[in-house]
Amino acid sequence: MATIQEISEFLQKGRAKNVKALVEQALEEGCDPKEILNEGLLAGMMVIGEKFKNNEVFVPEVLVAARAMNAGITVLEPKLAEIGNEPVGRAVIGTVKGDLHDIGKNLVAMMLKGAGFEVHDLGVDVDADTFIQQAEETHADLICMSALLTTTMPNMKDVIDDLNSKGLRDKYIVMIGGAPINDAFAKQIGADYYTPDAATCAEVARKAVLDRAS
Amino acid sequence: MTNRERFIAVLNGEKPDRLPVVEWASWWDQTVNKWMEQGMPQPEGDDPIQRFYGLDPLRQIWISPRAGSCPQPKGHGAALMTDEADYEALKPHLYPEESIQQAVNIAKAWQEGHERGDYAQWLTIEGFFWFPRTLFGIEDHLYSFYDYPELLHQINEDVAQYHLKCLEALLPVFRPEFMTFAEDMSYNLGPMLSKECYDEFMLPYYKKVIPLLKEYGVKVLIDTDGNVEPLIPWFKEAGIEGVLPLERQAGVDVNRIRENHPDWIMVGGYNKLIMHKGEEAMREEFERILPAMKSGRYVPSVDHQTPPDVTMENYKIYVKLLKEYAQKAAE
Repeated sequence: MATIQEISEFLQKGRAKNVKALVEQALEEGCDPKEILNEGLLAGMMVIGEKFKNNEVFVPEVLVAARAMNAGITVLEPKLAEIGNEPVGRAVIGTVKGDLHDIGKNLVAMMLKGAGFEVHDLGVDVDADTFIQQAEETHADLICMSALLTTTMPNMKDVIDDLNSKGLRDKYIVMIGGAPINDAFAKQIGADYYTPDAATCAEVARKAVLDRAS
Repeated sequence: MTNRERFIAVLNGEKPDRLPVVEWASWWDQTVNKWMEQGMPQPEGDDPIQRFYGLDPLRQIWISPRAGSCPQPKGHGAALMTDEADYEALKPHLYPEESIQQAVNIAKAWQEGHERGDYAQWLTIEGFFWFPRTLFGIEDHLYSFYDYPELLHQINEDVAQYHLKCLEALLPVFRPEFMTFAEDMSYNLGPMLSKECYDEFMLPYYKKVIPLLKEYGVKVLIDTDGNVEPLIPWFKEAGIEGVLPLERQAGVDVNRIRENHPDWIMVGGYNKLIMHKGEEAMREEFERILPAMKSGRYVPSVDHQTPPDVTMENYKIYVKLLKEYAQKAAE
């Protein structure tokens, strides 16, 4: 019999094929899809996130774990849709205009998924209009922006300024990150949160969305 | 002292008449364009920007293991290959003999000026994180540690053999004061890979190449951005002796490194992000790094390419202060 614990353990080892097979088996055996998701996949990803934050695992291990999580989620998604499972929240994420660096952004997207978010990855070189339009269309709770370059980080402010000018600023939690970013910059441009790493971003995002809902 | 003698003295931890006044990084095209708008002449001839600002020349040869015929990635960080079959197909475009000959020709042209001491020289070769990343692409390279471990070993073995061939041809005519392995294997939070992955996929290949460099008396450095401090013990195991660029924005502190690693060679370490703020901020930054400058084995320099928000006038102030503190550090 497939155990939820095994799903979590194989996920942490980045073993996508095993995770997929175990999720299929667990469903066949009648396990609750929500339990597989929360106690198997997301719990495993949370362990990886915590280890990443503590420098016990590194970027390659996060990537293969996230790939394993996605393999499991792909199997689960139809079942979750059937029972009307709602994500913790919805996020749009992208690297800001002029910036083509995406590994940090991709890690955050993976961690957000691992924290139960529906994530809409807008890619790189994303302008303010696209961030806002996609946030509106996807009914996002979060707008997450990444920048690696000192020359592109000011473009984060353009998105916030546009949100303000459209009267939409209060509708979204705005989170920013990237190598040159810090808390002072986040405050200066009016973002809600700066987080130093992908795992912390997912934690803060989850708390922020749940706090707002309560 | 000549520029070359001064550089060698600092790398050896000996007392120079002053520290070198150099920029290790080439200048960002956006920065150069802005400076030209502000009155800097079009760069022409040898060391044009160094001559304009009054910096000491520091010349670099970079040997690429990719031939001119090698396909270009479709976008930033995109892949050139996926698996073993792709690698075999790509190989005719890798490890080119002509790059070795070109490097030898450049070295011969520079030999007289170098022997006269007009400039220091450095050599860069692509390391065992950097080079496979250029083939796999940024993200797939990170997966390759788990998806294609044998192929990753094969690539690093092949490039290590290529480096040895290059060095055997080049070092008899080109004596760089130091060399770097281009890697960029760290970021603002520290290493991008685990010590286990480093030990398995990188360390054995450093150990193949570094002894030849040391045989010729070349100081061995590594070029990796971000927070490099946790990796210094890893590098020491490989025989690496120093690092650049020591980015302040990632929290790197040259004084702390000196305290923890007294013989470690450092190049860079000057916070590029304060340079646009003017003389007072730049002087404060020099005061911060002065203890490390005085300690030897440290060539202060901007901690990566000078950003475009640094005006020509502010860069002139930076060079003026660099000269002042280069003198002060040697007193």
